[in-house]
Amino acid sequence: MLALTQSTSPPGRSARIVPLALIAAAIVLLVLAARWTTPAFATVDNAFVIVRAASITGIVAIGMSFVTISGNLFALSASQLAALLAVIFALATQALGFAGGAAATLAIAAAAGIAQGLAITVIGNPIVTTLAFGAVFRGLASLVSGNGIVRIDSAAASWFGTARPLGIPTQSWAFAAIALCGWFLIRRARIGRLLVLSGANRAAAIASGLSVGAATVAAMTLLCLGSAIVAIFTVAQFAQAKADLFTGTDFDYIAAVLVGGIALRGGQGSPLQAAFGAVLIALLQNFMLLNGLSAGVRMTIVGGLVVVATCAFHLLQGRAR
Amino acid sequence: MMASPQARDLLARAALMVAVYAIFAAMLPTYTSLKGGAALLDGAVLTGLIALGVGLTMIAGEMDLSVGSMAALCGVIAVKLAPSAGPMPAILAVAAFAAGLGALQGLAIAWLRINSMIFTIGTLIGLRGITLIASGETTVLIPFDRLAMTDGFAARFLVFSPLSLTLLAAALAVGLFANRTLWGRELYAIGGGRAEARAAGVSIRRPIVLAFALSAGLAGLGGALLSLRSGSASPLGFEAVLLEAVAACLIGGVALQGGRGSIPGILCGLFALRFLISGIGGMGAPFWAQSLATGALLIIVIVVEALSRAIVARRALARRGASAT
Repeated sequence: MLALTQSTSPPGRSARIVPLALIAAAIVLLVLAARWTTPAFATVDNAFVIVRAASITGIVAIGMSFVTISGNLFALSASQLAALLAVIFALATQALGFAGGAAATLAIAAAAGIAQGLAITVIGNPIVTTLAFGAVFRGLASLVSGNGIVRIDSAAASWFGTARPLGIPTQSWAFAAIALCGWFLIRRARIGRLLVLSGANRAAAIASGLSVGAATVAAMTLLCLGSAIVAIFTVAQFAQAKADLFTGTDFDYIAAVLVGGIALRGGQGSPLQAAFGAVLIALLQNFMLLNGLSAGVRMTIVGGLVVVATCAFHLLQGRAR
Repeated sequence: MMASPQARDLLARAALMVAVYAIFAAMLPTYTSLKGGAALLDGAVLTGLIALGVGLTMIAGEMDLSVGSMAALCGVIAVKLAPSAGPMPAILAVAAFAAGLGALQGLAIAWLRINSMIFTIGTLIGLRGITLIASGETTVLIPFDRLAMTDGFAARFLVFSPLSLTLLAAALAVGLFANRTLWGRELYAIGGGRAEARAAGVSIRRPIVLAFALSAGLAGLGGALLSLRSGSASPLGFEAVLLEAVAACLIGGVALQGGRGSIPGILCGLFALRFLISGIGGMGAPFWAQSLATGALLIIVIVVEALSRAIVARRALARRGASAT
């Protein structure tokens, strides 16, 4: 495969602010355009729909941003793992109650992240590795659920999935908290520096004694924990799980990271950009849905957006240097 | 006679294929009957055609992830085109259309010097959307009174059908192209060491455009053939074929780093995988067990291959160190 990393100079503060400012501007423009053209857009109910959708996509997209920043492009197994974890959470909640179920789900997610991180380190190609793991996760989800619907009946889970403390859905509180933690992790914590340096220049990171493998394992574990949190929220909200949950959402996560402007060769960007990217994608999907665009048209537009954003950021970040 | 390392490698992969066949042939009577053999061959056609194309892009050090969506789009177009144009012209037109789209994709990748896996994730989504639009988001069918024109696909010569003969002809043509032509050898050159190839004056653009054109063209051919044979095309079809095709290539000895791999090897990997998948299907396992088995087998194969490569490299280093002192 192509070299995943190239040497980069450390980005200045302005290089960090510009993508965030760009995407914030895009969000404001989209909101104004939607308000202008679509009466159903600017209602309180619709705002909650958007905020919740953005939170669910965003939590996984933040996890995905760690993978991209660490120089491992994308994982194509996030939606399949979320489906498997949803089924596991439902079954574990039936047996152990909400807290026990959530703890078991997070533990299994961490194990899945470590396994995938180690496999990527050995194999060297994150896309092919996670393609294979994704098939295994989806198969296991069918196996564990008996290919049926697993229902749960837990008051704690129901509160966790549907409550609105201070008028804001729990999902969105979690989204904001995770975005801030993610930002802190990348900018201030030791592990974050390891991720950034591994992604920025793999050869230099190895030469200076950093473990790139540890960075990959850490990034994949963070992504899998994000998948677990989303799986728990979704099952708690609808009180049921099945193996075909989250089908096709991988592209939303990837699109969020891409339109957030996180450099694909790694070493640059912050989880906040992925969070804003997720808000933009959720707004766009909602706007298209309210305007009656069919699933095919919506998918074509998202695909086109991914291609254009990839090429534009590639040219901006790559050729300028 | 000492066999070359490539020949020994191919022999080992052929032995794996025969071993998988033997295991299931001992348990399933369909594996040894003429009819069962024909079904096995037919089952490999779609994955096989796509694996040939994806294999070429992998040999060139790239990877085309958009093949599943391309096959679905071409299936829908072929089914819409066939009643008025006839099956053969529809298949040829659709394959040429796909190859053209693939060439454009290759041009964009070569010109932007962008990672092809990332670019084709975008086109994978976009093409699937276009397929949904083209089909009106429902399964498209060949009208009942015109179904007779697909009868030709059911013809059989011993164990061969028109479909499996197409696969074998495509494998022969792609194999000759990759091994015997200058343009084919360029794929290996840019996959093995791109900087060296560029320094030696090899064009980077031509092999990339060719690889993506062939990969899309073969995916379109596969999608059109399979959809016309069944008389219907679903816009959401062919989603799992990418995993199977990549698995066939990697089991067949195509290197993830590019530059290494052969068409006979891909065929060995393809049939080893298909014998396994059809085998567990034939023993009554549900459909999702097939993707589980494919994924697990792929992980095992690439981990073992990567570990053995690391061990060989370490041994070579140790030997060099020992001879130096």
